[in-house]
Amino acid sequence: MATVSDLNISEVKLSEEYVGKWGMFINQDVCTGCQACVAACSMENNIPFVGDEDSGYGRTMNWIRIERFWEGEYPEVKMTQNQPMMCQQCGHAPCEPVCPAFATVHSQTQQLNLQVYNRCVGTRYCANGCPYQVRSFNWRDYKRPEPLPNQFNPDVTVRRRGVMEKCTFCIQRIHQAEDKARSEGREVADGEFTTACAQVCPADAITFGRVDNPESLVSQLTKEYQGVRHLEELGTLPNISYFKGA
Amino acid sequence: MIKRLFDWLKQPLGLVAVGIVFLAVFSAAVYGIALTQKAPDQPIQFPHNKHVGFGIQCLYCHPGASKGPNAGLPSQAKCWACHNQIARTQTSELLAPLKNAVESGTPIQWVPVAQVPDFVQFNHRAHIAAGKNCEDCHGDMTKVTVAENPQVFNMGFCLDCHVKTAGEDKVLLNKLADCGTCHY
Repeated sequence: MATVSDLNISEVKLSEEYVGKWGMFINQDVCTGCQACVAACSMENNIPFVGDEDSGYGRTMNWIRIERFWEGEYPEVKMTQNQPMMCQQCGHAPCEPVCPAFATVHSQTQQLNLQVYNRCVGTRYCANGCPYQVRSFNWRDYKRPEPLPNQFNPDVTVRRRGVMEKCTFCIQRIHQAEDKARSEGREVADGEFTTACAQVCPADAITFGRVDNPESLVSQLTKEYQGVRHLEELGTLPNISYFKGA
Repeated sequence: MIKRLFDWLKQPLGLVAVGIVFLAVFSAAVYGIALTQKAPDQPIQFPHNKHVGFGIQCLYCHPGASKGPNAGLPSQAKCWACHNQIARTQTSELLAPLKNAVESGTPIQWVPVAQVPDFVQFNHRAHIAAGKNCEDCHGDMTKVTVAENPQVFNMGFCLDCHVKTAGEDKVLLNKLADCGTCHY
């Protein structure tokens, strides 16, 4: 299996050197798989409901999903822990270099993978490049029956047909918190705001914050639980660490 | 058939017909473009020049600009606070919609003029805090009656100023020219 050092690409920073900005810690040990984060994410980010027919074609739209896998051979199968999976906001993202329209670019200031909807032409290369399979594509202009349009989040673009979308780490909340902090002449405090999924999680399985600040809750939890990153061997430098538990 | 048509078009009468058709299409296009350049019709022909001329600050009627993303449009209550002390308001025909709105309690349906597309997230507060003045983007309101845009609010207009503001500061340029600053 290839490791980061085998890739031998000068641009790839080693995972020890890479420090992101925003990150998450997910404690799978306490996750009950209640899907509250999935619902909250859909509400926060104006994610459409695709309906049963398109779901059958595998066109479901989620920015976060709860994964469960089987372990072992039948009949001795065991279900693994619930695994919330969303965009890992990779430091070296496989989705970025494949975009011919530069619609998915890396934000140098926020250290996030951006998706620019007005630039996206819908080639879906990024979704094919993503090893975490977290991108979803607007196959249609999905209808929202009344009164659903009344609960649109005005801070988030309502995407149209033919564009790719994915978890943004609730960048609208990041901007809101930074704007508020700047208007009061201070820095954003740890825990001042959080993403929709982390806010709604009844078990506090998801923690969001600054990973470049060793004092933040997310850094401390990652250190305490020895959080692991998914598919780290691909050199994607993900910003979410997981604790699988017992 | 087509050859006969071309032959007919080549004679003087045909050339005149071609000219008339061309002029009709051209003037329709010009009219169409002119329509998009015109400020939208407002329920009241609000004279910005008079109000600014009286010395009323922009932020008095659009206070949201210094506090948050939206500058906001004033409610009829704010208009009435001054206008109920002005005798002509009761008789003026132009101000009849305002009087009706206050008496019936129905809000005035102002038409927003300065708009950006849905995929652009604009925040007034950051721009005011950075020392921008209203007229830098919205033009000199002492010269217009009904609000109109002095320029198209497109990405070139925004980025031009962002890049100029950043200057040599690479960190600031990264921040101001970042896609995620406006598009999310």
